[in-house]
Amino acid sequence: MLKKIRSGQLIVFIFLFFSVICPLAVLLLNIHMSDIQQIIQSEQFLPMLSHSLLATTLATLISVSLAILLSWLINRSNIHFKGLLTVLFTVPMLIPSISHGMGLVLLFGDNGLVTQFLGLNINLYGMTGIVMGSVLYSFPVAFLMFNDIFRYEDYTVYEAAEVLGLSKYQQFKCITMVNLNRPLISSIFAVFTMVFTDYGVPLVVGGKTMTLPVYMYREVIGLLDFSKGAVIGVILLIPAVIAFIVDLMNKDKGNSSTVTRAYEIKPNLGRDIIAAILCWTVVALISLPILAFTYLTFVNKYPIDLSLSLGHIFEALQLGVDMYLINSLCIAMLTGMAGTAISYYTAFLTARSKKNFSKLMLHMISMLSLAIPGVVLGLSYVLFFHDSWIYGTLIILVTVNCIHFFASPYLLAYNSLKQFNENIEDVSETLGISRWRMLIDVYIPGTRETIAEMFSYFFVNAMVTISAVSFLANFRNMPLALLIPQFDSQSLIEATAFISILILIVNSVLKFIIYLTRRYLRKQENMA
Amino acid sequence: MEILNKLEVKHINKSFDDKKVLNDISFSVKDGEFLSVLGPSGCGKTTLLRILIGLEKADAGEILVDGKNIADLAPSQRDMGIIFQNYALFPAMSVLQNVEYALKLRKDLKPKAREIAIQTLTQIGMADQMKKKPNQLSGGQQQRVAIARTLALNPKIVLLDEPISALDVTNREIMKRELKEIQHKFHTTMVFITHDQEEAFFLSDRIMVLSEGNIEQIDTPENIFKAPATPFVESFVIDHLEQKYHSLLKCTGRLEAK
Repeated sequence: MLKKIRSGQLIVFIFLFFSVICPLAVLLLNIHMSDIQQIIQSEQFLPMLSHSLLATTLATLISVSLAILLSWLINRSNIHFKGLLTVLFTVPMLIPSISHGMGLVLLFGDNGLVTQFLGLNINLYGMTGIVMGSVLYSFPVAFLMFNDIFRYEDYTVYEAAEVLGLSKYQQFKCITMVNLNRPLISSIFAVFTMVFTDYGVPLVVGGKTMTLPVYMYREVIGLLDFSKGAVIGVILLIPAVIAFIVDLMNKDKGNSSTVTRAYEIKPNLGRDIIAAILCWTVVALISLPILAFTYLTFVNKYPIDLSLSLGHIFEALQLGVDMYLINSLCIAMLTGMAGTAISYYTAFLTARSKKNFSKLMLHMISMLSLAIPGVVLGLSYVLFFHDSWIYGTLIILVTVNCIHFFASPYLLAYNSLKQFNENIEDVSETLGISRWRMLIDVYIPGTRETIAEMFSYFFVNAMVTISAVSFLANFRNMPLALLIPQFDSQSLIEATAFISILILIVNSVLKFIIYLTRRYLRKQENMA
Repeated sequence: MEILNKLEVKHINKSFDDKKVLNDISFSVKDGEFLSVLGPSGCGKTTLLRILIGLEKADAGEILVDGKNIADLAPSQRDMGIIFQNYALFPAMSVLQNVEYALKLRKDLKPKAREIAIQTLTQIGMADQMKKKPNQLSGGQQQRVAIARTLALNPKIVLLDEPISALDVTNREIMKRELKEIQHKFHTTMVFITHDQEEAFFLSDRIMVLSEGNIEQIDTPENIFKAPATPFVESFVIDHLEQKYHSLLKCTGRLEAK
């Protein structure tokens, strides 16, 4: 019984060793002093670094502030359709980052809809575009983090403050701000890392403003210069590693704050009207690029012939979009299944057995993937698996996705499994129930909703990712999202719009299925 | 040779990182007896219980059940059951499934699993709640299910780790009485861990007072009350109860008698 668990642990260890530790080690080994010197001393380096830092800082500030404001409005006012608004705010997560860039091009580019019809030119290409696109791309992530905090804030503390005669401002300062402390740091780092390492948005709207990830992408994809790519990769790794360490120290140790009472929202019509206006304005802004994709897909020849047609769809199908869609669906399904299984099993090992050194190691490695930017992981896979048989297959794409998106679902499972009674293993041991049986008969049935959510996370991210897979895919196994940069460079704008819509549809359908599944599971659970 | 003692514990020692938790513990429990292990938190009582059931290994010592040393057996092979303070029921399973589950995994009991489960639940007064999930039950009801789950396997000895401490005062009183009834009904030998002097005095045939890993006294509640063996027993048990029941004791005249 115990042996089985040990061997299970060993298998997970070996898997993570070859899919995380080895590639990273090889990446680091590929760095030569001469390359570092060459890159740092080159004329492009400092401007690139400063562009990256400036764009990332601005986007982070805007995203996080917006996220705080909107999650606060949703949870502290009596506006209608809160659930719908929350869903709409997170729609941008369902399309690739590069699509956000494309959306902006379609709206504000030289021939963009806004530029053409409203005569408004915002000089999209450059810093403006990068920041705008990055905000679109990262806002939903920050929003979800704060939404959870505000939603589960305990009202009894506010009541106590009220009784003590603290003013609203004092309450905000002494209660709300304190509660926001940890998530604020976490979200700032999460958004910063996300934007800092993304090449999708700056690739299409950066213009002459080169950022580090775009440079890395061009060096590796265009010039096949892996060692230069590795140097940039390590630079991209720095903020992520800092974020990882800060986040570890920042983690709530107890994390057992239960809501004694939900926040009581007092009626205030003026506040509700302002909140509704702000929320729906943001929804409108978020949906503009998506509307632009739809419009462009069905217009005959923008901007010359605005009659509607299905021509672009046929054109896209001729370019093989359907085949790449099937690729993507396969990759996403396999990533969903394999990723969920591995991360769940790992969480089972770390959350449901006695603490020891190897468990701690396993936990650390699992969290580590949070700190590795996709492009860096992708490049390290190229270097490590280049001569192995899995190179150029679907398997390597699925593996890299599983690792790239490992940490969040792992934590979901870990937290769910931690909620089981601490004595349950002791009881099962005395009753003669093996750990395997416990996993199958007790833990999995008790965490089905979490498992559905984990699958959804892996699937959606595998559909939208263009980072880790970009260096590993070839024309045969390429996922759909990677067609966007390719078609963009061939000026097939309508096809990229169509692809973005396709990905959005697939992910929305999947999300809806998961939503129905979870509702069904909950219903079943409440029946007795 | 006639075996009088259901459970016999000989010279159990246990240390965690040089800290002695249990110091040469020896005692015995007769068949059908209810023994309480009473002591403040940190006295080693939970460690003792975990060693008895096999979740923890003693550094030295023997544990005999019906005269057979079980110190090297796996927890599930010791013919013992354990009840925890926090019930530890399987959340996704119904009451019946909770009780039935371990039975089903045993080859010899599998054909009769449902029958035994229903019978045990009926005896424990939970027959009308069998389809419910644990989260639809009160704390007291959940604890009864946990007890049924353990008793269904017909263990020789049941260990209880502060089983009623998580309940509110009213339910604790009710459970206390029920525990006694259950013990009579099932004729089970019970070892009961508690820090609550009243619980120990109300429930036990004998009480073992434990302090910092040492046995201070083992005797019937009456004898302990009459003749506390050490200053610790005097202060932890007698003073506590006297303070609490001062007026009551005064009325009955037992205070003067002492």
